[in-house]
Amino acid sequence: MSRLRNRLEEFKTTFESGDPPYNATREVVATMHRATAELKASGIENAALKVGDRAPDFSLFNQDHVRVVSTELLREGPLVVSFFRGHW
Amino acid sequence: MELEALQEVDSEVRKLGARILSISPQLEKYARNVHRKLHLTFDILTDFHLKTAEQFGIVFVLPDYLRELYTSFGNRLDIFHDESEYRLPMSARYIIDSSSIIRAADVNADYTIRPEPSDTVSLLRALRASDATSHEARS
Repeated sequence: MSRLRNRLEEFKTTFESGDPPYNATREVVATMHRATAELKASGIENAALKVGDRAPDFSLFNQDHVRVVSTELLREGPLVVSFFRGHW
Repeated sequence: MELEALQEVDSEVRKLGARILSISPQLEKYARNVHRKLHLTFDILTDFHLKTAEQFGIVFVLPDYLRELYTSFGNRLDIFHDESEYRLPMSARYIIDSSSIIRAADVNADYTIRPEPSDTVSLLRALRASDATSHEARS
């Protein structure tokens, strides 16, 4: 099993090279870099909940339209919660 | 990539008495497609209008120039999320213990940086060990 870090770096290298399958132009790469740098500089990372904070409860639908309630699952054990932007 | 990498450790996570949940603002039909395509054994939850991500403090609005770029790629977030704001959550992975306290928080403005799933498993193992010790101390 290769490490996630390696796979992400491989993606980044391919993307930034302009090669297929992404065929990213220099402008696109520069725009993505600018956006990430600006987001980082905004200090938003410091506003996020941190270790020791109480996590908000949530009740959301899963992919099969079944409601998932965090407090119910937490009674069984810890949760690993991964936020991602979407799979487009 | 995050989803595939988490899938590789899902059985280990379950053996430690924990569960993985992935959360994104995409509507259920898109979540369903990804879930099937990647043969996931953990849930993808739809955070409609990013209400939960907001509570974690990780939501940002795409600047206009990025919004234009996304749209030109066909990444129509307004359709995927059913809202016009073009907001996204930062990449984030949290471990929440059974008392709802956050025990690990990896939040990054750079979406290409993620913690290793194996590190998450190690933290869960340590959490389980420390909980077992504190139970012994109480009894």
